[in-house]
Amino acid sequence: MSQPTRLRIAGGTVYDPANGGGADGVVRDVCIEGDRIVAELPASAPRLDARGMVVMPGGVDIHAHVAGSSVNHARRLLPEEHAADPLPPPRLEDGSQARSGTGGTLPSTFATGYRYAGLGYTTVMEAAVAPLAARHAHAELDDTPIIDAGFFVLLGNDEYLLRQLAAGEAARARDYAAWLLGTTRGYAIKIVNPGGVAVWKGGGGGNRRNASGLDDTLGSSGVTPRVILETLAGAANTLALPHPVHIHCNNLGQPGNVATTLESMRALAGQRAHFTHLQFHSYGGAPGKGWASGAREVIEYVNAHAEVSVDVGQVMFGAATTVTADSPVEHLLHASSGRKWVNVDIELESGCGIVPYAYKEKAAVAALQWAVGLELFLLANDPWRVVLSTDHPNGGTFFSYPELIRLLMDRAYRDERLKRVNQKRLAGSALLDGLPREYTLGEIAIITRAGPARLLGLKSKGHLGPGADADVTIYANDPDRAKMFATPRYVIKAGTLVVEDGQLRRAPAGRRLAVRPEYDAAVTRDLKRFFDEYACVAFENYGAGAGAGAEPVA
Amino acid sequence: MTDRTVANVTCLGCGCACDDIAVVVKQGRIADARNACALGAAWFGDGTVPAETRVNGRTASLERALTEAARLLTGAKRPLVYLAGDVSCETQREGVAIADRLHAAIDSLAATAATAVLAAQRRGRASATLGEIRQRADLLVFWAVDPTARYPRYGSRYTVEPRGLAAPQGRNSRALIAVDVGEALGPADTDGRVAIAPADEVDGLGMMRAAVEGRAAGVEERFRSVVELTRRMTAARYVAIVADSEPGLVPADPARAEALVALAQALNGPTRCALSTLRGGGNRSGADAVLTWQTGFPFAVDFARGYPTYRPQADAAALLGTGEVDAALVIGTPATLPMPVVAGLARIRSVAIGPRASAATFQPAVAMDAGVAGIHEGGTAFRIETPRAALATVRALRDRLGA
Repeated sequence: MSQPTRLRIAGGTVYDPANGGGADGVVRDVCIEGDRIVAELPASAPRLDARGMVVMPGGVDIHAHVAGSSVNHARRLLPEEHAADPLPPPRLEDGSQARSGTGGTLPSTFATGYRYAGLGYTTVMEAAVAPLAARHAHAELDDTPIIDAGFFVLLGNDEYLLRQLAAGEAARARDYAAWLLGTTRGYAIKIVNPGGVAVWKGGGGGNRRNASGLDDTLGSSGVTPRVILETLAGAANTLALPHPVHIHCNNLGQPGNVATTLESMRALAGQRAHFTHLQFHSYGGAPGKGWASGAREVIEYVNAHAEVSVDVGQVMFGAATTVTADSPVEHLLHASSGRKWVNVDIELESGCGIVPYAYKEKAAVAALQWAVGLELFLLANDPWRVVLSTDHPNGGTFFSYPELIRLLMDRAYRDERLKRVNQKRLAGSALLDGLPREYTLGEIAIITRAGPARLLGLKSKGHLGPGADADVTIYANDPDRAKMFATPRYVIKAGTLVVEDGQLRRAPAGRRLAVRPEYDAAVTRDLKRFFDEYACVAFENYGAGAGAGAEPVA
Repeated sequence: MTDRTVANVTCLGCGCACDDIAVVVKQGRIADARNACALGAAWFGDGTVPAETRVNGRTASLERALTEAARLLTGAKRPLVYLAGDVSCETQREGVAIADRLHAAIDSLAATAATAVLAAQRRGRASATLGEIRQRADLLVFWAVDPTARYPRYGSRYTVEPRGLAAPQGRNSRALIAVDVGEALGPADTDGRVAIAPADEVDGLGMMRAAVEGRAAGVEERFRSVVELTRRMTAARYVAIVADSEPGLVPADPARAEALVALAQALNGPTRCALSTLRGGGNRSGADAVLTWQTGFPFAVDFARGYPTYRPQADAAALLGTGEVDAALVIGTPATLPMPVVAGLARIRSVAIGPRASAATFQPAVAMDAGVAGIHEGGTAFRIETPRAALATVRALRDRLGA
């Protein structure tokens, strides 16, 4: 097949929930011209026979850790994983070789691009980039082919923001957030453990290792996790960013954290907000007194509040690597697991913690985490607001998405797996009571593409209507849904056939997704003073764009 | 040519990558590099670099040099690509692509800190960006290193002198301790000083860790001073242990590197601690980062099997020493190369692209001069721990190789 400047995908069963169609899909043609979907093509246009196949928009990953400083620290920590999973260079259709690489839970950049494309995913959001490392993240994404990508910029533990909150300067905080997104070429505002990382970095021992509740005061009485959440959620909404504030709540991974999660949601009631890897924030019980599922309580709140969206952060059994800006949590995980551990405190902004990990089905807590994630999926009423994720590579890698899809679509398989897991902490879990729900292909299309695209405000992604990006994944319809979703028959990215029967055919560069909101320029004068006082990087050199470092001197 | 001053220029003279240099350009030459230390001033020089292109010692066209370089490299049985100093991450990325295409071994200046890198791969790290040490540390422990010689502004710009969030009085808000290990002395002007014999160092670090973790029983006299130091450490709010990961007076010792990491990690139980490992200049941290994101390994990578494998025991110096490689591509300033690498390169045919490539003492068959990253061409460079900021020629060679 030649470069498909025009292509009719003929006779497939199309799942395009953004444009209607329902659970069973619609048999119709999908027409591509250049890098766009068009309404119609002449009959003479090249055809791709998709009869009997399932046609969906390209997958959209709303939350994964794939590029940047923290991800690279994690790669560097795991030579044994890379050695065990080499990637020879795929031979492309024109005879040239693509790039080689390595896999493991944190693949090299080229391998990341090829493997996402191999799964039919064509858009990925890197979920946590410290502003200082924005330039690094862009460089890695430049080396991550095929996928369109953007990143979320870490806010909420940064000194400049906390100072604005202490001074009651909400408008200036908003201007700062807008400036920061533009200068880093980021896509959305990300909050990780609001205030907690700043406490951890502040030092000292004793009980001041983290923030524990929404009304903890952080240095100044005016600064609490609640105020951070309210200010940044308000900023994202006032700035009309395409994606609302993306929140990793306080107390990740702690028994009893369901209370914090619900309080965080209530704090933002009525405002759009996205709560990420909800599974890690949906535990009952209490610290020191054991764990239980808190999934039902949390998902019932989500079901009843249309302004809230979430991604699940499913735990999958097997190897994982926990990598997060939530560095105090990683210290706890290192202490309890005894595994190797990276901590990097990032000046004036954020943190980075990494611990390699493995979820075992015979381990009681891992089994509970697995069950909690599935409960969230199966008890959710509105798939448009509950996105499939594993918080790659924290709960499992993105390669496990097909297996996760099978768990959601195939009750018999799920019940079989459930029997094998440690059930010690599953009392009270709805999963144990037997949840009959099976996701339809239409619902899968929502939680893996149409829903995340809509929540990200990506108007040309996640659907196959005229004008949409020509990102299309075509599957052979296989009753084994894990197999079906692991090996798409064809993947088309921006009109280019990139994968055919599991083989990489072409590896074009992807596009960068970024925003540039407007702000009152007065904030930059104040920021310049702050940089002169505290920063070790010149204000003029900060961010991702051209600074003095981008132009010749002599 | 008009005179001008360019503000906020980044210096790659050492790993600190200070970006506050004001470069004064007069008549096309650098007349002054304000704010730069002596090492930085030497790195900038007068900003002039040769612009020669040579094949077998004779001036040649770029076209001919590229053709000859491609012929030499594709004809090799076992080529080596080496990322030397003073090139941008963008150039390094092209260099790794060439190594991938050639099925070559690739290494970089980052290998000089191999012992520290390998220790971090075994245990992890407890670390912070330079600027966070400035903000947080109230106790700085200089472990067998005085940064003023090789990292002149480490103290004045990042850690000792400047005011920080938790150090409102700058130097006066911080306590400094020197740990002298044999001849490897800490800084002169500190608030305290302890000494330990080189032979006792690793065990001493282990004893300190045991004390921090509350496991220390009877302490022998030879460890007493360092173990007592842990009391000051655990009483501090945020400790920075400063150690040099470049080769120096203290021979590189894997056990020592690992013991330093382990102590820093353990201190994060009772308090907070970062191990600040010093690294040399020329954007070697960038080479480490680029190799890691493109291959999964930070140095000593081998594409011989068609995909990256990690051979930390067979870095460039070792491959050249055993005669395993028969041709090399050096990207960067030849004068930054470690001596064993230079000695090995003199025995094989090579291509050099980079600043002052034509002055390489190992007599490359093909030499193509290029500009210095940060002076003559833009791009990205890494500070120790932190991203910051001969591309065209390397890219042209890559095109020639079809990579």
